[in-house]
Amino acid sequence: MSKEENNISQADGERVVDGESRNDKSYQRQASVTKVEILNDPRFEVLAKNPRRTETLIAVSFFVAALLFIAMIVDYLKGANTQVEGGLMAAAFCLLGVGMVAWGKYLMPKGPFEEPRHELGSTEEDKKEFVDAFVGRGKVAVGRRSFLGKILGAAMGLFGLFLLGPLLRSLGPNPGTSMDHTAWKKGSRVVSTSGNLIHVNDLDVGAFMTVFPEGVIKKSELDENQQELYNSQTLLIRAGLDNITTEKGRESWGPQGYLAFSKVCTHAGCPISLYQQETQQLLCPCHQSLFNILDGAMPIFGPAPRPLPQLPLAIDAEGYLYAQADYDEPIGPGYWGF
Amino acid sequence: MAKMNLEKLRKQSPKEKKTLNGQIGSVSEWLDDRLGLAKGGRVFFNKIFPDHWSFMLGEIALYSFVVLLVTGVFLSLYYVPSGALEIYHGTYAPLRGTVVSAAYSSTVNLSLHVRFGLLVRQMHHWAADIFLGAIAVHMCRIFFTGAFRKPRELNWIIGVTLLILGIVEGYLGYSLPDDLISGTGLRLMFSVTESIPIVGTHLAFWIFGGNYPGNGSIIPRMFIAHVLLIPAIITALIGAHLGLLVKQKHTQFPGPGRTEKNVVGTPMWPGFMFKTQGFMFLVVGVIALLGAFAQINPIWLYGQYLPYKVSYAVQPDWYMGWLDGALRIMPSWEFQYHSIMIPNQFFPAVLLPGIVFNIFILWPFIEAKITKDKKEHHLLERPRDNPMRTAIGAGTFTFLFMLFSASATDVLANYLTISLNIVLWFFRIATYIIPFIVAAIAYRFCIELQRAGDKAGKRKRTNIVWRNEQGEYYIEKSPAREGDFDVIGETEEEPIELTPELSEELNKKADLIGVGSSAATNELAEKFLESGEDGVKHVSRD
Amino acid sequence: MNSKKKTVKTFVSVIAVVALSLIFSLLESNSYNSNTPNFRTSSYSANNVSAVSQTTSSTPTTSTSTSVSSSVKETSSFGSNHLNSNVKSDNKKKKFVGPLLYQGSNVRATYNQVKEGQTLFDESCASCHGAQASGSDRAPNLVGLGPATVQFWVSTGRMPLSNPIIQPIRKPVKFTQAQILDIVSYVSSLAPGGVLIPNIKGYNSSSIANGASLFDINCAGCHTITGAGDALASGAYAPSLHQATPEQVAEAIRTGPANMPRFNPGVLTNSQVNSLVKYVTQGIQKPDNAGGWDMGGIGPVAEGFIGLLIGVGLLMLGAFWVGDRQ
Repeated sequence: MSKEENNISQADGERVVDGESRNDKSYQRQASVTKVEILNDPRFEVLAKNPRRTETLIAVSFFVAALLFIAMIVDYLKGANTQVEGGLMAAAFCLLGVGMVAWGKYLMPKGPFEEPRHELGSTEEDKKEFVDAFVGRGKVAVGRRSFLGKILGAAMGLFGLFLLGPLLRSLGPNPGTSMDHTAWKKGSRVVSTSGNLIHVNDLDVGAFMTVFPEGVIKKSELDENQQELYNSQTLLIRAGLDNITTEKGRESWGPQGYLAFSKVCTHAGCPISLYQQETQQLLCPCHQSLFNILDGAMPIFGPAPRPLPQLPLAIDAEGYLYAQADYDEPIGPGYWGF
Repeated sequence: MAKMNLEKLRKQSPKEKKTLNGQIGSVSEWLDDRLGLAKGGRVFFNKIFPDHWSFMLGEIALYSFVVLLVTGVFLSLYYVPSGALEIYHGTYAPLRGTVVSAAYSSTVNLSLHVRFGLLVRQMHHWAADIFLGAIAVHMCRIFFTGAFRKPRELNWIIGVTLLILGIVEGYLGYSLPDDLISGTGLRLMFSVTESIPIVGTHLAFWIFGGNYPGNGSIIPRMFIAHVLLIPAIITALIGAHLGLLVKQKHTQFPGPGRTEKNVVGTPMWPGFMFKTQGFMFLVVGVIALLGAFAQINPIWLYGQYLPYKVSYAVQPDWYMGWLDGALRIMPSWEFQYHSIMIPNQFFPAVLLPGIVFNIFILWPFIEAKITKDKKEHHLLERPRDNPMRTAIGAGTFTFLFMLFSASATDVLANYLTISLNIVLWFFRIATYIIPFIVAAIAYRFCIELQRAGDKAGKRKRTNIVWRNEQGEYYIEKSPAREGDFDVIGETEEEPIELTPELSEELNKKADLIGVGSSAATNELAEKFLESGEDGVKHVSRD
Repeated sequence: MNSKKKTVKTFVSVIAVVALSLIFSLLESNSYNSNTPNFRTSSYSANNVSAVSQTTSSTPTTSTSTSVSSSVKETSSFGSNHLNSNVKSDNKKKKFVGPLLYQGSNVRATYNQVKEGQTLFDESCASCHGAQASGSDRAPNLVGLGPATVQFWVSTGRMPLSNPIIQPIRKPVKFTQAQILDIVSYVSSLAPGGVLIPNIKGYNSSSIANGASLFDINCAGCHTITGAGDALASGAYAPSLHQATPEQVAEAIRTGPANMPRFNPGVLTNSQVNSLVKYVTQGIQKPDNAGGWDMGGIGPVAEGFIGLLIGVGLLMLGAFWVGDRQ
């Protein structure tokens, strides 16, 4: 054994003392690896049975990938078809990937190799020095005037508090009472999405449409107020020919079979637009709450906790529909009151 | 003989004359003088990666995040983050003349007109789905093998945070195109936010800039969060995640030569570097494959979102599915006391994720508390080794999977032609029962596997009954074959440590490493000696 | 002891929950079934229902008896049920004035059509709907529904139906176009009124963009934005629109088959219906799937499935290869 090798095994030996659980066999094996034997060690062989063939295959796959990238350029210049570009790209990258992995897996020393793990925690000495440095020096320079630190902390805290203003509060208005009412007012006439007034003869039994209060639908959709559109959207349903009372106290709300309910689901706020006319039910597309319109849109199935608010309708002398008042309760899902 | 040849070879090798510094190049030399890279670089190159497929799952997430960053940059060049309404004048006929937002029309434009645009957009979306899917399976691996135990609790917490941020990031991206389906998702978010106790309604108003759908500022706000704020945090956390990985080193499964004091596998350089780089290409390839042929979120078909329009069969992307499912199977409860209301959507959409993510984050500490285990663990447990944890994990996974499936009640009802009501009631009950059944089965399975010991998955030796000429029966064991439980197959090699000295030795023999079996190597060495100094290259290419 | 009690308690409560849920779901399907005959409540006549239900219940296979009765009524039926009841029976063929079939056109059903139609009706429809098409406890009254309704149900293959189910599905059509028109003519000849077959001749020149935005607000809520269809409450469903012919689209809009709401001219004008027909037959049925395979057009459910199964699945297979040593 040369002097150099001795050094290596000595160094190894020290490390092994650290790692108590290493068995003697592996230690001996480690120490017995001499420089010359390395090349004879099976752990430095490659995994490939026929390295020549493997390297040819890898070369071919890289080469084909290069050709595919050229094809991508050509296709791009010709207008870039999504499927052609994507197909070429997928094929090229898969070839590159397969080649690369094969290179790393089959044409490199197969191992297994190991590395030692060191203690993650610091030594007792390090800890002690750290504590000495932190506490020892700190006691004099910081601890004595700790009230300065407290004031500094309070100042920064106040700045943080201030930041809540511009970063949060100023982003939007407070709710105020805006959740309590919609764009419907007493006497608002009912119009369709195209802004036409709804006449009592317009809907047959079993028909429905989405309606808004007059004024919300503008000549150009660009001018419409999205918040008003949202909170005033209403489903107008013709459920029969005679007046319909869905609930006690709503005797005059359903003239000539017309019923109007808020289109905003009381569960999570989706626009309800599934009207099952045979069963007289409304189904919410998002979470499948089911409402019985003849029973004041009482939820009969699914997660919705409250009935849809009903809009009191009336028919004017010319036969046009209008609202007697706004909804008598907030529309949409529940929210934290304030 | 071979030994002697190699000794000679070493003396004659031209490489020996070169210094290490001479080999790494002047640029690296320049950098090292200023940064001292060699020290860290050596540790990095020597880092050992365990050879097990399950250690590659996190890499799927990492590389799909790389794809997300690259494709995202491309998209941000064309996307206009504005909710301002305009008239669409593009070439897609069903939209022409209708009112659309700048965000929507720019997304349609980049999908249908910008060359390569649709592919990149679809790759971005698929990469997001795969990113979160890979995080989920990676997390399962960490959980079921106990890799989160001391000293890796911090990295577990970072990982769960990455999962949460990934979900938020995905949701924001899903919402940006302002199409019919994403708008519906936005409304749900408003409803969920306003259900948060005390601050909810104010928070919702502030974030959206007013009552729903706000004053048009939500899209630019989501945009900046989606492209800057959250990606920056995710990138930083991924850096920390990997930094801790290098610092603490990998865990490993028990096996020959594997102890609590070492890591056995492939070194970073060159073996693993090549494999992982290749894997990255494969991730890009698979994402490109999906992006090319599987149409995802065709927003031009969906149309612009307007607050009174909706489509049926609206679902969020899969990683939000469990929350949507929870919203669906929630009983119709709501609590009101005067003006204080705890709305229905609070329970499934705020409370549930709150509880789930808190348990996730705290799990390492919960488990340590229960087991009173304060030791460091670098050797993994197989799922069977810890039946209780496996049962809890399987149950939780099943619970979340049931919620996830519940988000498709309508689609399931349609495809199976079962009444929607029955499907919903099934999920309302099964979501709470099946997890316990699965947990019990998993527990039992683990115990049985433990009992089977090393025989698990292996053949029993067959008994062969013979009858001899006298008519007597006798029993004989079948001959041993590979795969029988009592036949010991090839054992793995003992690992070898890549010490600096060994690396130096290898460096000298670089031309001879990796050309084949040691017999072939020796043969090469002989040829080399015969042919002179430059012979090796010729021989190895020949 | 205590724990035993507890387990028994939990066991009992679990059983109770399961049982309750089963009962609930059964109840729900029952309540739906009891609703099914409720096809078009307003058009049911109590007398008709009871009368026909008697005949059908006494003779479950009524094809023979009804065909007998139909041959008897041949001379009288047109006269009694028809607008022109004072047409003399011997030259009724000449003076016969059939029902109007098409909206915006004077084309009337001919005598032969009505006669042929009656034969077909008696063979295939009368067993449930009754010889006079006045309905039974198994099927609704068809009198006065008009040509569009009948044409829709028969031309989509939903009728005839061997067993009444919650909502009939689209099947291969049993009759030729001409035969369908015969049946339509016969049923329409029984009483005036109902919805005429919509005139959609000009639909190809209407605006597809208009149709798209009408579709978003009126149709996508049930049929989904890609027209793939989806399940509604209590076993009903909104069918896929991908096989609908232009005429069927218009008929469905106007008549509101089954649970679908009706969109009468006061709700959607003729030109709006034409736009919708154009969008459904072009935008929906031949969508611009520039991105590749549309995976059934059901959105994120299919996308998540493919992304996890194929995307993550393929990459996990890749991980098996990359990560392991062998």
